Amino acid sequence: MRRQLRSRRAPAFPYGYRYRLDDQDEVNQNYLADEEEEAEEAQVLVVPDLEEEEEKEEEERSQGQPIGNAWWQKLQIMIEYLWDPERRISLAQTGLILFIYFFFYASLAAVITLCMYMLFLTISPYMPTFTERVKTPGVMIRPFAHSLNFNFNVSEPDTWQHYVISLNGFLQGYNDSLQEEMNVDCPPGQYFIQDGNEDEDKKACQFKRSFLKNCSGLEDPTFGYATGQPCILLKMNRIVGFRPELGDPVKVSCKVQRGDEDDIRSINYYPESASFDLRYYPYYGKLTHVNYTSPLVAMHFTDVVKNQAVPVQCQLKGKGIINDVISDHFVGRVIFTLNIET
Amino acid sequence: MSRKTLEIYSVELDGTKDTKQTDQEDDKKYNDLDLKKSHQKEELKRELDLDDHKLTSEELEQKYGTNIITGLSSARAAEHLARDGPNTLSPPKQTPEIIKFLKQMVGGFSILLWIGAVLCWIAYGIQYVNDKSASLDSVYLGVVLALVVILTGIFAYYQEAKSTNIMASFSKMIPQEALVIRDSEKKVIPAEQLVVGDIVEIKGGDQIPADIRLLSSQGCKVDNSSLTGESEPQPRSAEFTHENPLETKNIGFYSTTCLEGTATGVVINTGDRTVIGRIASLASGVGSEKTPIATEIEHFVHIVAGVAVSVGLLFFIIAVSLKYQVLDSIIFLIGIIVANVPEGLLATVTVTLSLTAKRMAKKNCLVKNLEAVETLGSTSIICSDKTGTLTQNRMAVAHLWFDNQIFMADTSENQLNQAFDQSSGTWASLSKIIALCNRAEFRPGQENIPIMKKVVVGDASETALLKFSEVILGDVMEIRKRNRKVAEIPFNSTNKFQLSIHETEDPEDKHFLVVMKGAPERILERCSTIMINGQEQPLGKSNATAFHTAYMELGGLGERVLGFCHLYLPEDEFPESYPFDVDAMNFPTSNLCFVGLLSMIDPPRSTVPDAVAKCRSAGIKVIMVTGDHPITAKAVAKSVGVISASSETVEDIARRCSIAVEQVNKRDARAAVVTGMELKDMAPEQLDEILANYSEIVFARTSPQQKLIIVEGCQRQDAVVAVTGDGVNDSPALKKADIGIAMGIAGSDAAKNAADMVLLDDNFASIVTGVEEGRLIFDNLKKTIAYTLTKNIAELCPFLIYIIVGLPLPIGTITLLFIDLGTDIIPSIALAYEKAESDIMNRKPRHKKKDRLVNHQLAIYSYLHIGLMQALGAFLVYFTVYAQQGFWPTSLINLRVRWEKDELNDVEDSYGQEWTRYQRKYLEWTGYTAFFVGIMVQQIADLIIRKTRRNSIFQQGLFRNKVIWVGIASQIIIALILSYGLGSVTALSFTMLR
Repeated sequence: MRRQLRSRRAPAFPYGYRYRLDDQDEVNQNYLADEEEEAEEAQVLVVPDLEEEEEKEEEERSQGQPIGNAWWQKLQIMIEYLWDPERRISLAQTGLILFIYFFFYASLAAVITLCMYMLFLTISPYMPTFTERVKTPGVMIRPFAHSLNFNFNVSEPDTWQHYVISLNGFLQGYNDSLQEEMNVDCPPGQYFIQDGNEDEDKKACQFKRSFLKNCSGLEDPTFGYATGQPCILLKMNRIVGFRPELGDPVKVSCKVQRGDEDDIRSINYYPESASFDLRYYPYYGKLTHVNYTSPLVAMHFTDVVKNQAVPVQCQLKGKGIINDVISDHFVGRVIFTLNIET
Repeated sequence: MSRKTLEIYSVELDGTKDTKQTDQEDDKKYNDLDLKKSHQKEELKRELDLDDHKLTSEELEQKYGTNIITGLSSARAAEHLARDGPNTLSPPKQTPEIIKFLKQMVGGFSILLWIGAVLCWIAYGIQYVNDKSASLDSVYLGVVLALVVILTGIFAYYQEAKSTNIMASFSKMIPQEALVIRDSEKKVIPAEQLVVGDIVEIKGGDQIPADIRLLSSQGCKVDNSSLTGESEPQPRSAEFTHENPLETKNIGFYSTTCLEGTATGVVINTGDRTVIGRIASLASGVGSEKTPIATEIEHFVHIVAGVAVSVGLLFFIIAVSLKYQVLDSIIFLIGIIVANVPEGLLATVTVTLSLTAKRMAKKNCLVKNLEAVETLGSTSIICSDKTGTLTQNRMAVAHLWFDNQIFMADTSENQLNQAFDQSSGTWASLSKIIALCNRAEFRPGQENIPIMKKVVVGDASETALLKFSEVILGDVMEIRKRNRKVAEIPFNSTNKFQLSIHETEDPEDKHFLVVMKGAPERILERCSTIMINGQEQPLGKSNATAFHTAYMELGGLGERVLGFCHLYLPEDEFPESYPFDVDAMNFPTSNLCFVGLLSMIDPPRSTVPDAVAKCRSAGIKVIMVTGDHPITAKAVAKSVGVISASSETVEDIARRCSIAVEQVNKRDARAAVVTGMELKDMAPEQLDEILANYSEIVFARTSPQQKLIIVEGCQRQDAVVAVTGDGVNDSPALKKADIGIAMGIAGSDAAKNAADMVLLDDNFASIVTGVEEGRLIFDNLKKTIAYTLTKNIAELCPFLIYIIVGLPLPIGTITLLFIDLGTDIIPSIALAYEKAESDIMNRKPRHKKKDRLVNHQLAIYSYLHIGLMQALGAFLVYFTVYAQQGFWPTSLINLRVRWEKDELNDVEDSYGQEWTRYQRKYLEWTGYTAFFVGIMVQQIADLIIRKTRRNSIFQQGLFRNKVIWVGIASQIIIALILSYGLGSVTALSFTMLR
């Protein structure tokens, strides 16, 4: 296409002819490189003789052209601006390329956006599409400060003060007043099933700080850390739709993971049942179950051996609970060490 | 000019009998040629201070401490052997295997990967010092990277070694033996134990075992063609005939062949000190050029490595300034490098090249150097030898002239179709002369072999005549038996004719028949009558003119012309019992009856014109370089199309327009015939001008040194030059050329050693197939690289996004390696099987500096078009997996830090669910797998896109390349195995997908 245009234009001004020769050569040599030139190239190959004829023609015509005409030169400059024969790039072409790129990326973006939109159409905001990765709940403890090793010196409040602060902060949401205000007191020992549309807001059951008794921080604001009897709160990971099987609540039981069983001696669980009541299940998801409060079990290590690291493993027990996955130390169990110095 | 030529031709055709004569004739008529010759020899002479040819035998005995009769003593010989070493050419210096191996280990991308591996281990070291329980992930990664490098290195080395082995087996020679006189006894010893001073005996058929000074000779002739390119047998005797050792007759050169006769000589040089040894070492001194594909791949490696390192460092800096730990940043750096480097590509390229090499070997092109496969494709100038490459390297009857008419004979390889008019009575007589006046014979025991393939004892012209008459007349031996030969004068250079006297086959007819052939003008001199249409007519002026016209015409075609005449002897003068005496010549040898002319040529191979035309349409300039005479060269050039029918040389134009050569506008001529003599006086610029301005060039009468000059001239034009050659003298040019092509049958070992490729059938047409394959491989490599590069963006983006946006890592480094070295390998090799797109032989050869294997178009198309789409597609899959599991894309942003904290086991997702670290990790692996599958599936589409570059996919045919589908199947199977079969292997980080 372009080639034809050029050959028509070339005779119009004499100097174009000179360039055209080198130009043509370059085209041929550039053959492989220049993917954009393909169409043009094919024509050159089909009519190799055409070139020679044209050249002669041009020569004749160019001799007949008035040279040095001012109007002519102006046009030349203008044409050169639009079509630079040396660099073989015209302004229009550059513009076109930019436009094509713009168009290409715009439509790419549009397609991707459309795909993402479709993706969201298929995903329910209330219920994850798949839950098999988190079928069995993980377990986490509080206080949590970057580490699962509790090292502190009873006589040095600085070493345990941050646990107390962390626990206090964590339990703010469990304050009795807040719970009573926001949540309902639902009957214990049974699932708190709320039928109705998915998008309806769900009510949440109260879990009051006072349930934790000695570990609530209400009577003992140091959660026992000051006396070397630390409270550790155990929280089961929230899973949408999780229900402990067969109506048995999940129980918590802690023991020494490795070493002497007697290193812990006694643990007080709060609530005393050491279990997560059924009424806190199922969980309906963040969007509708706004005020859901995760139930807790507090472990009060009242007589743990001092001045040595005691590895403690707390496991969930119950039907359908898995607590012995080798690769995952936090599914159904949690392991931490207590190293209390006096 | 033409008149002169005719004469020289009539001389040359007989010249097979006595070259001395030819030489003298040459010297007389072509002083200029002689000048050139002596100049050429001088070049060699400078290095050749040999005066043994001037010494007498006594002086020789003294010089070498030997005895001509008794030879050396064994003790003395052992002494010399210890001093000079064995009589063998020292093989070209080989790179030690271990160096080759190590080169493979550190070449290309390997060095980058080594750096990656070492960084991994350093990172682990630092981690380990800080925390004894640091995860071994980075150690694994380092080990995997090192393994990748070592395995690809071993693989490349193996491929390389395999192709070298082919050649090694090829170049192995049968151990040579020599008959030597030592301790007064004749002994046969291995030629390599020859020492200076040994007296050796040679006989016809032997290879001369060292440079020897002849002491005595009986009809000894040698073939010096491998040394000087002269194809005529050279007589050898004990006399000192020329100052120049190369010219003198009393020296026989190492590795040349003794054709006939016997000779005794004293060894004057052995091993590398022989003339051939010196030329061979000259060849090894010529630096061989880096192959274009090697340059291309280097260029590509530089680009990719540059991108990898600069992006890596850029993001390292970004990562550090984003307050990532330096250690983490190093891991990112490694990830980016691994993502950028196409680990499998170099192995793929090697496989692709060796596949093509195998394919070419099937087509009789044996490729010594794998990279040469592509070089042939980018060739823009072929400097072809004439003899044996363009021509059949044998004489064949091309034209006949009788009854005042020129007839054309079939010169094709099988000659079955001799279609000229054979009804004339003249033909009957002529055919009889051809059959009878001929000393050549078929070697016995070849009854079942086609005539053209039978082995003949006799020189080239006689062989041609014998075969010609055998084809037309049937059993020539039987005809000769019926026409018993009674006397014979063999050809000699004084008479310039050959004559024999026969009984006629009719037992009643008691005439004797004298048949004679020879140089046409000599034959005509002896004739008084001429046979026209079977009738004898007096040889009038008009007949003589007709003869001269025909003679000149045939001579002008560059053919060797022979004249034939006969005479029936009168019965009364020559009765049955007449004692013919060839010495006394007691029979008439004049006033014969002229029957006809016959001209012979070394005919072009039938496939060549087509091949040359193909080369031309493929934009390849075919230059003929020959030692032959310009007229013959031009004639052959015209017949094969090296000079096309419509083009003219300056001389042609001058003749057509009847003007002086100087007046012709040089631009009007497209063809040029340049002789070695002209070349000698040319400045390099002039040669450049000729090479640039003429599209069809023939170099005639050139010396090997000039061949080198021509090659260099072509290379100055930025051309990729292919050179064909067979002699030792060609080896420097073969080495210098971008691709040297040696002849497998006619080629000498030196030539084969210097060449990159060996044509097993010596056929020019094979070069064209080679060119086609070479171009195809360039195209296919381009496709392969484009295919391989595309996924780089998809592999790189995850790391960049991970660093900047803080998403959980979309794809792991090891998973990347599974794409690069697992799913993508077979498909990218499959692209090597892609058929040529229609126009492959119709376009110009690529310009070695402008048409790169990887240019910006390819890079932009791969990276910014397809690559980007691929990356987006893969991310879409990744987001889908996370979203379906509970992490919406919005929640992923900046999740990285919490996501990767091992102690944090209750990370909340978009639904309020809490995830333990391992659950997250498992999800991350699922993400890897999804991303992997995303890339893999898109690579399948990419593969189909990359099948074609110009054609539409339907033109190219979706199912023509079956290997592509094997590749796709392999991709899917590998991905299935990785994600479902090995789902539990945590080290690989693959999980099942739903």
